[in-house]
Amino acid sequence: MMLYVVLFFTFFSLFLYVLLGGADFGAGIVELFSSRNDRQLNRDTIYKVMGPVWEANHIWLIILIVILWIAFPVYFNIIIIYLHIPLTLVLLGITIRGVAFIFRHYDAVVGASQVWYNRMFRFSSLITPIFLGMCFGTLVSGKIVITEDYSETSFAEIFMFPWLNVFTILTGLFYASLCAFLASTLLIGETTGEIRKLYSKKSAIFTIVLVIMGGLLLAYGLWNKVVFVQDFLSNAYSLSAVSLSALILIPLWKAIKEQHSLLTRFYAGFQVLLVIFAAVNTHFPNLIITSTGDINMMDETAPDSVIRVLGISLIIGGGIILPGLFHLMKSFNMISIPKNFTGEDD
Amino acid sequence: MENLDYARLQMAFTLGFHIIFACIGMVMPFFMVVSHKKWLNTRKPVYLKLTKAWQKGVAIFFVTGAVSGTALSFELGMLWPEFMKHAGPVIGMPFSLEGAAFFVEAIALGFYLYGWNKLPETFHWITGIIIGISGVASGILVVSANAWMNSPTGFDVIDGNFVNIDPVAAFLNDAWFTQALHMTLAAFAATGFAVAGIHAFQILRNKKPELHKEAFKIAIFFGAVAALLQPLSGDLSAKDIAERQPVKLAAMEAHYETKKGAPLYIGGIVDEENKEVTHKIEIPKALSFLAFGDFDAEVKGLNDFPEKDLPPVAIVHYAFQTMVGIGTLMMIAALIFFISLKKKSWLNNRKYWWLFAILSPLGFVAVEAGWVVTEVGRQPWIVYNIMRTSEAVTPMPGMKYSFFLYVAVYIILAVTVTWLMKRQIKVLNNSIG
Ligand code: HDD
Ligand code: HEM
Ligand code: HEM
Repeated sequence: MMLYVVLFFTFFSLFLYVLLGGADFGAGIVELFSSRNDRQLNRDTIYKVMGPVWEANHIWLIILIVILWIAFPVYFNIIIIYLHIPLTLVLLGITIRGVAFIFRHYDAVVGASQVWYNRMFRFSSLITPIFLGMCFGTLVSGKIVITEDYSETSFAEIFMFPWLNVFTILTGLFYASLCAFLASTLLIGETTGEIRKLYSKKSAIFTIVLVIMGGLLLAYGLWNKVVFVQDFLSNAYSLSAVSLSALILIPLWKAIKEQHSLLTRFYAGFQVLLVIFAAVNTHFPNLIITSTGDINMMDETAPDSVIRVLGISLIIGGGIILPGLFHLMKSFNMISIPKNFTGEDD
Repeated sequence: MENLDYARLQMAFTLGFHIIFACIGMVMPFFMVVSHKKWLNTRKPVYLKLTKAWQKGVAIFFVTGAVSGTALSFELGMLWPEFMKHAGPVIGMPFSLEGAAFFVEAIALGFYLYGWNKLPETFHWITGIIIGISGVASGILVVSANAWMNSPTGFDVIDGNFVNIDPVAAFLNDAWFTQALHMTLAAFAATGFAVAGIHAFQILRNKKPELHKEAFKIAIFFGAVAALLQPLSGDLSAKDIAERQPVKLAAMEAHYETKKGAPLYIGGIVDEENKEVTHKIEIPKALSFLAFGDFDAEVKGLNDFPEKDLPPVAIVHYAFQTMVGIGTLMMIAALIFFISLKKKSWLNNRKYWWLFAILSPLGFVAVEAGWVVTEVGRQPWIVYNIMRTSEAVTPMPGMKYSFFLYVAVYIILAVTVTWLMKRQIKVLNNSIG
């Protein structure tokens, strides 16, 4: 019973990280692909909009990791050993991005160094989700080689090729475009007038990019007989979920055109939920596919006593945090932002 | 050097980096809310200015602490996968609660930083307090995980597997209370002296002395109280170790021969080859007393433990001496501060301000030294008497490159943050009013 609570929070954290952390990365990507003038606008907008929840968005990742290591230690063990290098790159990206964000807004002197903070921020906003997407891709690519014998296989075969190939790069790009799509869509609701038009336009563009990336990913997987993609396309539920998410593009598109803030957000969030559902559903609970077979995350979970305590902690923690988070978002975000609001130091 | 050595170095380096930001992130919010409260009470602009300056510091340190902490939560698994596979479920409870504490902290920080002129004043101030409390709570929780490594309880080992896990017992292990107390005091002492020292230096340079004197007063007060309590808490820790980890105690004291009425060494050069200590000052029977509260108690020496279970003695001994030496200095400085509350004339003496300016970095040196005692003193075990560090390390070769990558990134980060802090102070000094 508690195991289901834990599973729920696992996927809940994953979902929120993909959604909120993703929107956060996406804001940097949008900025990267903007004209000089729009960049400045974007910089100020995301400071106002994302600033207060910025840190909270990223803690979902920590929660996810902690749940994995406590409740699914064997499963976590494989992820952490075989994805060592791409995860290091993700961490590097998160580090650079986090400090660049805070430096550019909290440096006491606004001077030439801003150029560097901005560059670091935009660049790491793009590469971090790409590497993160590559990690997701690696898990299901069927390319992980699990071995105890290091004389037969080379370093590159175990620690490089599984995560560095066309399929994983495509998943990385897919996730990065999802981030950009999410950011531009969420920002529509947070802005008014000219800036709002700007994000509507960006949102439309990134929707197209996203659809193309998704199509490419599936086509490549099918062409190269990637087991996960084949299973994905033959699983009725997963297929219906992606079809539904494709269908939602139509009302989403309309809502974007009408610059409808709540609806765009709702559709975008729902879409992420559908995509994650489709992906997870395809192979759950065998969420790692290696070259020699599947690994079931429900095998060898932590003992009941641990799961019980974890489940209770999560319920209590969730009970404290979610209302707080909601209140924070409400105080700063969902309510429209007064024109003269400049964050602080006014 | 081997892969294992690089993994250890990387762990030591990243933790040593994180702890500085963690301490500041735990303690600075308290300075900030005190100054904020004074502003609310007196409406003197100097307090508002100080609060806002400290708030920027909190934001910068929080994020650096958060990103280095995020890296750590991955690193535990990336460097020590076998340790996490077995120990993860056992020590999961403090970590999951810690996750909750971070969340509360991040939410409160969002409110605080962005809440000026938007939230009701009292509520806004309270969110500042919540930042501090949840920061301290997360510190205490992680230390519980570390204490479990020193004093593993709440499970049985059968055929190399950890079974019958009781997460609550593991959480409340024997070492937890002394370590958490000592660590929390250390954070206050180190940060208090560091911040006070920076402001003392500004007073010496005669830059905005009124503002810096206010800042100094707030910071040193926290630091001095903690510094007075620290040796007491350290003594508790030492007695605890004498019971639980006698090898570590022997290494701390470079105590080779088992003896009744063992002497305490001050200073000294450890000769690990010949198993002796030269150039030391010897205080008869003091070690027996400090460890067991009895001048004639027997203290087991390093020679009576199996060779393969010994930690590196010299490092642990020097680190311990450094920590205790600095602790004594800080305690004296704390006394001087409390006396100066009565003897106001001392405040006009430049030597007074120089004392605190010079002590500024030392608290953090003691923090690092203390952790070296704890961690290196536990070697060769990752989980004391249960799992060896060499059994836990990642099978991936090439840790060397990973280590140098982290060193490079963190050094750049440290330099940048220092530079930013200097800029903050400059801007503060040049501001009008
Ligand atoms: C401002 C920093 C500071 C100062 C002044 C002191 N310590 Fe300390 N000490 C620490 C900061 C610290 C620490 C870094 O926070 C440690 C590492 C692990 C821990 O819980 O605290 C520590 C650990 C530590 C340990 C090992 C605990 C273990 O392995 O479980 C002992 C025995 C002492 N200390 C004893 C002392 C004594 C007798 C002091 C006398 C003045 C002292 N410390 C001052
Ligand atoms: C004794 C050692 C440690 C202490 C006292 C400590 C304390 C703290 C504190 C107070 C913070 C909040 C940062 C701030 O307010 O500036 C923090 C952040 C963090 N720490 Fe540590 N920590 C320690 C070791 C560790 C270890 C070993 C891990 C990894 C497993 C870790 C993981 C984290 C994480 C993930 C964060 C970021 C949370 C966030 O995003 O806010 N810490 N730590
Ligand atoms: C933040 C303060 C800390 C510092 C400065 C610190 C320092 C160190 C050092 C110097 C080592 C290397 C020891 C050696 O191999 O000779 C080490 C190892 C390690 N520490 Fe800590 N430590 C801290 C807190 C923690 C905490 C809170 C945890 C766990 C929750 C932790 C877990 C580990 C692990 C798993 C290793 C590697 C295995 C080992 O060498 O025993 N440390 N740390």
